[in-house]
Amino acid sequence: MTAPATAPAPEPKAAPEPKTKAVPKPAPAPEPAKPAPAKPAPPKVAASAPALDLRTLEQRLKDTSAIGVLTKLSLKNQVDDLVGKFKTYHAGARPPTLAELRPSFDLLLMKVLSLLQDKDAALAREINASRDAIWGVLTDKQKLAEFS
Amino acid sequence: MKRLALTACLAAAVAVAADDPKQKEDLAAVIALQGKPCGEVVSYTVQGANDFVATCKDGNKYRVHVKDGRVVVEKQ
Repeated sequence: MTAPATAPAPEPKAAPEPKTKAVPKPAPAPEPAKPAPAKPAPPKVAASAPALDLRTLEQRLKDTSAIGVLTKLSLKNQVDDLVGKFKTYHAGARPPTLAELRPSFDLLLMKVLSLLQDKDAALAREINASRDAIWGVLTDKQKLAEFS
Repeated sequence: MKRLALTACLAAAVAVAADDPKQKEDLAAVIALQGKPCGEVVSYTVQGANDFVATCKDGNKYRVHVKDGRVVVEKQ
């Protein structure tokens, strides 16, 4: 047996030089030693929503001409029913659990948004932006009691 | 004869056909909110204060009225 002929290995190509040289970042200056501050509590989801006045929003919903009187009353009935379920939840009864209440909340909000989006888009946007804040009120026993 | 005419007038007043597009939209929205099939309200009659019978494009007919502060939708 003969040893296989080996082709000369190609010379490794040098890596192309970058056209612009990277400017080395200055090392961050070491912070002076100071006492560790108390760790802030993680922000709640509701805090990320824009500042919202639920009373104003409620009034705007009452005043909008985008939906008719019967529709408003029907929506109010459904809102009252949902608030009633949250009160049952806060009273300690199970069901409903929050996981069960969330789809009802989402569906009702969807109904409101679909009714408003064509004729009062600004209000629809604000309600949508306030979704987490509204949920925050509903899931907080004290806030709900204050609001209703 | 007068009594008959009066009765006819009253009967006509009980169910008045109306054609307000905003009211049709309102009725259609209420029916949809209750999860009932309708699509579009093509006509309606006024039975009384906050009491309507709506006829939908798909042929369904609903009585929409307010009872104890609640909007009730009943299939006719």
